[in-house]
Amino acid sequence: MTTTAAPATTTPVVGFDQVTKTYGSVRAVDGLSLRLYPGETVALLGPNGAGKSTTLDLLLGLKPADGGTVSLFGTTPREAIVAGRVGAMLQSGGLMDGVTVAELVKLACSLHPRPYPVADVLARAGIAQIADRKVDKLSGGQAQRVRFALATAGDSDLIILDEPTTGMDVSARQAFWATMREQADQGRTVLFATHYLEEADAIADRVLVLHRGRLLADGTAAEIKAKAGARRVAFDLEGEIDQSALRGLPFLTSLDVSGQTVRIQSSDADATVHALYGLGVYPRNLEVAGLGLEQAFVAITEAEEAKQS
Amino acid sequence: MNSLIKLEITRALRNRKFLFFSVIYPAGLFLLIAGGADSHTKIDGTGLTLPTYMMVSMASFGALTAVLMGNSERIAKERESGWVRQLRLTTLPGRGYVLAKTASAAVVSLPSIVVVFLVAAAVKDVRLDAWQWCALSGAIWAGSLVFAALGVALGYLASGDAVRPITMIIYFGLSMLGGLWMPTTTFPQWLQDVAKWLPTHAYASLGRAIEQSQTPHTQDIAVLVVSFVVFAGGAAWLYRKDTLKA
Repeated sequence: MTTTAAPATTTPVVGFDQVTKTYGSVRAVDGLSLRLYPGETVALLGPNGAGKSTTLDLLLGLKPADGGTVSLFGTTPREAIVAGRVGAMLQSGGLMDGVTVAELVKLACSLHPRPYPVADVLARAGIAQIADRKVDKLSGGQAQRVRFALATAGDSDLIILDEPTTGMDVSARQAFWATMREQADQGRTVLFATHYLEEADAIADRVLVLHRGRLLADGTAAEIKAKAGARRVAFDLEGEIDQSALRGLPFLTSLDVSGQTVRIQSSDADATVHALYGLGVYPRNLEVAGLGLEQAFVAITEAEEAKQS
Repeated sequence: MNSLIKLEITRALRNRKFLFFSVIYPAGLFLLIAGGADSHTKIDGTGLTLPTYMMVSMASFGALTAVLMGNSERIAKERESGWVRQLRLTTLPGRGYVLAKTASAAVVSLPSIVVVFLVAAAVKDVRLDAWQWCALSGAIWAGSLVFAALGVALGYLASGDAVRPITMIIYFGLSMLGGLWMPTTTFPQWLQDVAKWLPTHAYASLGRAIEQSQTPHTQDIAVLVVSFVVFAGGAAWLYRKDTLKA
């Protein structure tokens, strides 16, 4: 399932091999194997509870895996961190209070083996104007920017971001991703977790879809969108319904008829609806709606299962 | 690691409420207890005047406040906020965080000791030889490490809302039963027998032995050493457990 974006001889930036993590009876990460290669910008996409945060914790060595092996740059996560190769911004990463933003960023710079100048880090994260503010007096979005500054205090090869735009408004979100793209353009490997398909689509050149601790799909954003971008078409028909004709509609992935109501899932709703009129029927109360990400995942799961059987 | 120590110290010195409680409060308490006492009558069996006796008690109490309260609550709070996790994503070695906390507590505890000494000497005419002042400061300062380790252990043991009451109970229990507020000779015999095994009792005894120009009791040193090993060992064990849980 894993696509290799680089020659197999390159040491992967991230290597997961059959990694498992269980909490009580819940398998948060279930036999996950994946490799990330230098320069990739990868989105880890999944609904809440899919195992994204646990995967990142395992990757950073914050939690030990129950089974399988995790490696960063061919070494243990801790060794990679000590070598300054990883910068990370966690959802649960707190900040030291009672100090100013500048003091905290200065600390992060001094702890990095290849630090950037403090002023540059502040400017890039867009927090230069709040540098003298106390950390405990920040808004949610500002705190996220400070976390981002801590993650980018030095010249790291891999940047990990767990739902980085949580608490940001739309314009802050856009500014944030612009900054992020700069990081990627400098040849860094970027891995970020999100539950927004649009974010993954706009930023990532590779998308990993995680569901219930398993890797459901791994491909370009366009491929994932084609799979997850399914739409639901619903309408009523009068008289006897010719199911076999409906089943022959292009791009149809599922069909459900109850009474006079027909529900269709399609990977290209425009083409499906166009062909529907071509059948010579007169659909009424026609509705076309996008599937939520949650339903899209179910659609992908079903598609994967159908492929396997 | 030095940068974190520096920042922790800066922050501790900025925290006025904390500074008040650990630096001014013990000296104030000293004046409250010993202020009215006359500076010549000796306490039975010690050969020390009440102000001299209480000076060591309050200096020890001040150092205890600074290291125990400072460490336990901060660590518990920062474990909860995720700052400890964030630090684990840096090159800082795991023990660096605990060392920085202890170092900043020690920086606050030294003035709290010295202020009690200054007040005692200026207001209550406590007079000691130069070597005794130096040895007292050194012994009380170094002895506070035992309680700094206890503070770290508590910070990793309790979390959130529980840490303050637990720390308070241990802090007041150790202070009172260890005889930091009043001489243990006023306790019933059974309580005296218990009290002499408490690290706070041994801690203050150490200071008093210096005031009396006596060799410290072996038992007191042993109690302090064993306490330190137990607290530091407990702190290390709890720290490792916390790390696995993340």
